[in-house]
Amino acid sequence: MQHHATATGLGPATSLSGTATLRRQKQREYLRFIYPTIFLVGLFSFLPLVGMLALSLTDYHLINGWGGTWGLQNFARLVLDARFLNSIYVMLALSIGGVAVQLLVGTAIAVGLDQIVPRWKIARGFFTIPFAVPHVAVALVWLSLFTPTLSPINAALDAVGLPQPTWFSSQTGAISAIVIADTWANFPFVMLLILAALQGVPRDLKEAAAIDGASQLRTFFVITLPLLKPALLLVTLFRFIETLKHFPLIYVMTKGGPGRSTQATNYYAYVQSFENSNVSYGAAISVTLFIFAGFASFWVARINSRINS
Amino acid sequence: MKSSRTWKIAISVAVTAMLCQTGSAWAQEEEISVLMFSLPVTRGIAELTDQFEEETGIKVNVEVVGQNVFENQVMLAFTGRTGDLDVVHVPAIQLQRWVAAGWLTPMTDKVNGSDNAAGFFPSALTTYDVAGENYGLPMFVETGLMAYRTDLIDTPPATWEETKNTAAEVHSDATAGIVMRTSPGQGFNMFVLPMITRAYGGKFFADFPGDMSVVVDSPENLQGLDLYTAMLTESGPPGVSNINYPEAVALMQAGGAAMFIDGTSNVVPTLDPETSSVADKIGLAPVPEGPAGRSPAIAVHGLGIPASSSKADAAYRFIEWATSEDVQAQIAINESYPDFTRPAVGEHQDVADKYAAINPDLIQLRSASLSDTIPNYRPLIPQWPEIGAAIGDNVNSALNGIITNAEALKNAQAEVQEILDQ
Amino acid sequence: MIDRRTGYRFALGRLMMIVLLCFALLPVLWSIVLTFRPKISLFTPIWEAPLAWSLDNFGALARSDFPAALINSLITAGGATILALIVGIPAGFALAKGGLRGTFQTSWALLLLRMAPPIGIVLPLFLTYLNLGLLNTRVGLTFAYMSLTLPFVVWSMWTSFSQIPSELIEAAAIDGATLPQILWKIVLPLSRPGVVAAAILGFLLAWNDFFFALILTRGQTATAPVAIMNFVSYASVEWGAIALATIVLTLPIVPVIMFANRYIVQSLGGAVKG
Repeated sequence: MQHHATATGLGPATSLSGTATLRRQKQREYLRFIYPTIFLVGLFSFLPLVGMLALSLTDYHLINGWGGTWGLQNFARLVLDARFLNSIYVMLALSIGGVAVQLLVGTAIAVGLDQIVPRWKIARGFFTIPFAVPHVAVALVWLSLFTPTLSPINAALDAVGLPQPTWFSSQTGAISAIVIADTWANFPFVMLLILAALQGVPRDLKEAAAIDGASQLRTFFVITLPLLKPALLLVTLFRFIETLKHFPLIYVMTKGGPGRSTQATNYYAYVQSFENSNVSYGAAISVTLFIFAGFASFWVARINSRINS
Repeated sequence: MKSSRTWKIAISVAVTAMLCQTGSAWAQEEEISVLMFSLPVTRGIAELTDQFEEETGIKVNVEVVGQNVFENQVMLAFTGRTGDLDVVHVPAIQLQRWVAAGWLTPMTDKVNGSDNAAGFFPSALTTYDVAGENYGLPMFVETGLMAYRTDLIDTPPATWEETKNTAAEVHSDATAGIVMRTSPGQGFNMFVLPMITRAYGGKFFADFPGDMSVVVDSPENLQGLDLYTAMLTESGPPGVSNINYPEAVALMQAGGAAMFIDGTSNVVPTLDPETSSVADKIGLAPVPEGPAGRSPAIAVHGLGIPASSSKADAAYRFIEWATSEDVQAQIAINESYPDFTRPAVGEHQDVADKYAAINPDLIQLRSASLSDTIPNYRPLIPQWPEIGAAIGDNVNSALNGIITNAEALKNAQAEVQEILDQ
Repeated sequence: MIDRRTGYRFALGRLMMIVLLCFALLPVLWSIVLTFRPKISLFTPIWEAPLAWSLDNFGALARSDFPAALINSLITAGGATILALIVGIPAGFALAKGGLRGTFQTSWALLLLRMAPPIGIVLPLFLTYLNLGLLNTRVGLTFAYMSLTLPFVVWSMWTSFSQIPSELIEAAAIDGATLPQILWKIVLPLSRPGVVAAAILGFLLAWNDFFFALILTRGQTATAPVAIMNFVSYASVEWGAIALATIVLTLPIVPVIMFANRYIVQSLGGAVKG
């Protein structure tokens, strides 16, 4: 796309074959800009991934060491592992629930800041604070808010005689608790992205609608929301992929409990690799998760390239 | 072509490098590194390390981290044979596993060759013997005790059945009848639950260590588990199903529970007026018993030398010092540390006075309880951490009503069998 | 002009914003309360002991490993960000303007690297570091963090640079400017919001990490998230210290984010508008 323009920019004197040569030369020059990235990414990202794949195909155990067999036995075991299947269910519940709530909260705040309270400049700053808190700290602070004996919420409910929620006694409760903490940590990202997209909504379109007598709510659903669609799609997929990697929140808040009801796949990989020392089996879980995320990211790339073109 | 050769070389270099992991043998003798996880005794040792440095001229880097962080880091340091650790905290519960993996250096000769090694509680010291070799000296031994509120309960219950009834009687919205650990984990709910199941005659194996048939789903274990879940769901605090020792201690200190049964290191802080608002209303009692007797929990922690350390002699000097009578007595004064591993420490006048002031019966109750314990309270086998986790998960599911008690034990039985078969 | 129904809805909208603001601020305010509560009244509702305040946690935090860990966090996350910018900006430029083939595959590959589960890749990384002597070093952790930040920086700078008209670059090329000169003097100044956004969002990726630091560092090189976990210790969770540490950890970043808010929105706007 761009290099056509380059060719014309060089003027009519250049012959066609000369253009091709020049283009290649130019490309070589540009390629040099990419080599350092390829080198570093290869060394620190790609190679460990290869290592992970290699581990998943063998039988390395932290304590028993390496038995020396290679093959797909870990993956064969995965298919029959009820804990693994349970972990996928938990992961999907956490991801879908989490993304839905984050999207709702983030979009509501963005639209609110843009259209209801545009003058709350400080509020906008306040809404970005959670962005700065590392996830381990997020998990600990919310854990304190969900611990019945410590939580001011429970104390307040108790004081007025209402029943107290016990978050970590049921799967629904524990998953909700993680979703709430995850939402708190990540709605600012959704909010910022939607705010960015809202800037692209032409004012005059909304004004025209207002003159036509459309209500604010109607204007939002008929005009604004469709224009936000690409942004919403992008943020959904981004957040979805991130939530597949849930770890600190589970590690700190529930440790996978009650029972095993919040052992999401990534956490289960940790349990197998580090608690049960089955490094290779844990790696096989990670590889499966990675493949799954790979499909998801394929869609992000597709959508992104469509938006960018 | 060329690039494929480069790749081959790169891969072979990487593989060779991964295989040849030798710690540097030429490091100096004057500096050792110690990694422990946070307990009153380890914090106490860290505080006193200057004394050791002055005495011996050996420089010590002590690091005390959280328990979770410790477990991940120490495993990797061992596996990688990083060689940068010389003294390491060895929970007795991990000992067999670590020895089986060849991660610890035997200290038998050193222990036999020194006078200092005498004078431990014999059971605490023998805990660190595996196949005739010693792998550590104990620094901490705790046993089960009950703390109860004297303003709510006149005489502490003697049996588990009575405990359950008493808990139900005194249970109110403000004060739960009883609190115990319930979080899933071999060191969490599986630290306290065997106190009940064993009292009913329940075991993990038919006849440890002779007959290793798994008997997790025995009727005795079910009886014990039934009591545990019924007692805690009826008379436990809100959110009872995810309580670990920090929450349990905090609850008791805040006056939110009438009884608390746990290890001494957790029970004693409820008597501390600085952190406990009910310190003056707490009495101590032995762990309740059942038809098959009394089986208080036991947890032992010690110090050992990683196999990859090249400074075993200096490391041993540190271990000997850290577990010596003098140092334990100092820590007993500085910290909440009734869990010393040498009976002689309790005879130091200042130590005896300090703990008598906290509770006149404490030291005596602890010794009595200690003599009721069995070393294999939690079976000391390499697979225990994994087994304990598997049972603990299922027990926690049962407590939460996700599955029934019988189902939980049945699942646990199958999972334990699978772990042992691997 | 506003009729009653619109006014009613407007009030409802404001109420929603206030509720959401409470949700956003509750953990922050709660952390501040926890910071100043003495241990003994932690578990008493605040209205029952409104006068129990203490500064004990400040001393406890200062004595702990946390201050050193905070500095480690800043060094490693900051270093990884700077490194990623230096290496990633030219790469993003080349991908956006180089007319190279296989850009879709590259963009997918970059996203794929973001997917890599840390739990899976940390062990190979551990083994490699063991042999390179990079364990327990800030340099090693910085490079590990770079594996998080670099793909992100390349990806987002690529998006930013795509907004710049190619004619500008061609015109400069005809004037005899070399590619590095074009990048430095023409393209970068125009993409400032993009750079700020990429830098901050990239920094946060590393800043947030717990797992790499847990496995690859120990003791003097551990980072703040690991140091916070050390307050979860036997027999007690130091809630006060944890809350204070959270605040200390968040404070330096908040003004940066507030300042960069505008740039992030601007640059993300580029990403979603195209």
